[in-house]
Amino acid sequence: MGKENSAEKALNLIRGRLCDPTSVFRPLSGSSDSNFSKLKFIVSTSITEGCNNSILLLGPRGSGKAAVLDLVVGDLMEEYPDSVTLIRLNGLLHSEDNCAFKEIARQLCMEHHLLFSKMASFDENSQFIIAMLRECGLAHKTIIFVLDEFDMFAQASDLLLYSLLDAMQSVTSQAVVVGISSRLDADQLLEKRVRSRFSHRKILFLPPSREEIDSLLEHLLSLPADSSFPSGYVSQFNEKIKNITSDTRFKDMLKTFLNANSTVNSLLKFIFRAVSSMNLESGLLSLENFKTALSSMQRQPKLEAVRDCSILELYVLVCMRRLEVKEQSSYNFISVMKEYKTIHDSFQTSDYYAQNVCLRAFEHLREREVICYAENRGQSQAVEYRPMKLLISASELHQGMRSHACCPAILLKLLDH
Amino acid sequence: MTREENSKVTRRSARFSSSVTPDNPEPNPSHQPTVADLTFGEESITLDALLSSFPGRRSQILDLIRLIGPLDSPALPVMVYGDASTGKTSVALQVFRHLNRPFVYSSCRTCCSPRILFESILNQLLLHSKCSSNGYASAKRCDKPSDFVNLLKEALSSVVETLNSTKPERKPMGKMVYLIVDHVDLIKEWDKGTMILQFLFSLYSVLKMPQLGIILISGLPPDVYYSNVGYTDPLPVYFPEYSEEELRQIFLKNQANKKLYSAFLDVVLRPFCRVTRRVEELSTSLTSLFRKYCEPLDDLTISPNEDLKRRLYSNLKPHITSCLNEIFRISSRPLDGDSRGERRQKASYSSEKGEELEMLDFHMSTSAKYLLIAAFLASRNPATLDASMFDSTGGMDNRKRKRKASEKSMEKKEMAEQEAVMKGPGSFPLERLLAIFQCIASVGDSSFGEEEDEEGEDEATGYDKESKNMMSDILLQVGSCPLEGSIRYRSMVSEDLSLKVARSLSFPLSKYLYRR
Repeated sequence: MGKENSAEKALNLIRGRLCDPTSVFRPLSGSSDSNFSKLKFIVSTSITEGCNNSILLLGPRGSGKAAVLDLVVGDLMEEYPDSVTLIRLNGLLHSEDNCAFKEIARQLCMEHHLLFSKMASFDENSQFIIAMLRECGLAHKTIIFVLDEFDMFAQASDLLLYSLLDAMQSVTSQAVVVGISSRLDADQLLEKRVRSRFSHRKILFLPPSREEIDSLLEHLLSLPADSSFPSGYVSQFNEKIKNITSDTRFKDMLKTFLNANSTVNSLLKFIFRAVSSMNLESGLLSLENFKTALSSMQRQPKLEAVRDCSILELYVLVCMRRLEVKEQSSYNFISVMKEYKTIHDSFQTSDYYAQNVCLRAFEHLREREVICYAENRGQSQAVEYRPMKLLISASELHQGMRSHACCPAILLKLLDH
Repeated sequence: MTREENSKVTRRSARFSSSVTPDNPEPNPSHQPTVADLTFGEESITLDALLSSFPGRRSQILDLIRLIGPLDSPALPVMVYGDASTGKTSVALQVFRHLNRPFVYSSCRTCCSPRILFESILNQLLLHSKCSSNGYASAKRCDKPSDFVNLLKEALSSVVETLNSTKPERKPMGKMVYLIVDHVDLIKEWDKGTMILQFLFSLYSVLKMPQLGIILISGLPPDVYYSNVGYTDPLPVYFPEYSEEELRQIFLKNQANKKLYSAFLDVVLRPFCRVTRRVEELSTSLTSLFRKYCEPLDDLTISPNEDLKRRLYSNLKPHITSCLNEIFRISSRPLDGDSRGERRQKASYSSEKGEELEMLDFHMSTSAKYLLIAAFLASRNPATLDASMFDSTGGMDNRKRKRKASEKSMEKKEMAEQEAVMKGPGSFPLERLLAIFQCIASVGDSSFGEEEDEEGEDEATGYDKESKNMMSDILLQVGSCPLEGSIRYRSMVSEDLSLKVARSLSFPLSKYLYRR
């Protein structure tokens, strides 16, 4: 019972670490030429010297841009407790100007303990913001604007960006605008007048190297040797982790996984899944956990969809594929039914069903997005006459049918001819 | 709210066992909902009971439980996906019943717009119930994602605070709240659906609250949601279709006489599984077939021996094939009666669902039948041939001298046929339909005397109200022709149906059909 309790506690601890991005990226940001230090240097100089600045963080999704920024901001809040205000905006939520200004005003009010009125109009909000910028500048307080999903702000409309960057040009304001985007060409999306006011500083977030990943794994998966865990258990657990990570099979698994998706976030998901399947009775991780996690991360949805089809649906798919092979560029349900009938006539299969049954099988396939309408315009036609197309390739169909539980051999033969 | 939610939840979890339909009373105003009501509410079940109530779902249930994790363990968002009626919703809800953790459930099928979805989630978190005293209004008005994020943060922090301070009387509830959103694939069809989907997927990283766990249930696999913006894929849990063995266990679960039913399934399940493996479709056809199977038996509680099994099977055999061809039909006839002659239904052909109602014995007035045939002919024949087809001699035998078809003309014929199949039925203006109708009805007038008596007064040439109603069923309005400015129609009746109708009128349809 005690063993299970400590296993559960260990599990909770590791899961908590994996779900919290800042704790993941702190060890990666140790060295002096990392992105963390560069960013920190830029922002802290603008705070201490009282100047304005703008910067873009670019990198693929899940490489830790927001996490590193949070670390930097957290550090700066400690070092300069009263001179930093943080305003966060997200392109998914606040790309409209009204929403954006309202949100900025609301956050400013919360910071400075003012009353925020939801009924304030757009003009009132923008005047308030400009006034606050001036006041904070005069009081030597820096406002840091964090714009997540920067490309959505750039695409939607430039009013917000222009007013922010324009206000920063005046002498009295002290603001730093940090944009975060997963599009590497985010600054090309800006309009000319906004781009001219934007300092083209960019920090690129690249996938971590092998050594960084190894050290990250060790940091994430090792238990701390403090008193909340029985000491024998901790050393046993850490020993097992070392064995696993130095195993060549594990290294190969990791390499295959990182070949497909090399961001830190996906690695975290992989480890999360492996850790969640930890055997709570023994309380130790094993290589099996990582293997099952890998297979469940590498799903092939279209293959699964074909494997889930009933035999009649497989017939429909094979007929469509045969029509494609015969170079019929477009086909609809009626032509598929003709092909179905010819197959039945020539091979005397036992699976010949009425048209309405086949139509329903057709609809099932369409709902599962294995086939779809070839064009969207043909709304005025009945379902049977609208041209359709396959959404899976021939090899996927082949593979799916071969791994199907009870696919009749004749279908495989028909597919090959 | 709580009792509604509980009864909603019970109804959904009892899918193929005998369904309980509790009535939905007005929530008792004196019963103040507390945070403890966010859990499932009924007696928690053990893991073994959970596993045995879902045959064939053992690995998925264990996977889901492991991903949700032990008490108070932070979790990444999870997506449960699989085909329809594979048990995703029921498994998710029963897992939460077993774990006894507070959760909030909303389905995108009932909440059909973002505002309703956001408000439903907030209402449940704020423990607000819509009753007559507050005018059935939600607690907070929220239709934009930005407002939703702020309000959700406040609501979640207040719930977590209450959870931290309450002492649970039964199993501990933990300090986390789980959000279950069902039928996420329906959001794609909403207005601005892609934005809402991206928002939903990134909700966890936007909120940054470790006390929230998110579980999304979707009918489509995760690859249809891939997008460039705002998409972080959740951890997938896949629910495959049931295999034959699992289907057998499911169908045997609530049967009174298991031996008899399993003998029935032995002969019936395999052929039906070749057509579909969905539980809901199989269960409707299997129940009616089982009734037929048991017809010769007097005592339904006996366990059959080999001899009896063989006799029952031979009795059932002729019905199996016909039932297979009707497998997707939801029959409107009463299940025990077999009275075919009594029903009076209009034949209608709904284009989107593609289901035909029982069409063998329908009752249509003669004028309606002629209109149907006229519409079919108008769609199938090109307009230029009308004059020759329908001249005053009332249809003719336009068989030209048959020449031996050369290979090139055969090819051309095939291509033309293919094109015709692809194009589908043609469109025609209303005047042409009425003209054809007049022609063919006058043909039928001569043989009119022998028709049923009740039709005697009904002129075949009249365009009465019943026919007008039927027209909207068989015709599809296609746009207006830009030259003439009139509305054109297209017939949606299939060739089989028209042939049947023509045969019932003894109308020589094949003479009028243009064959290339």
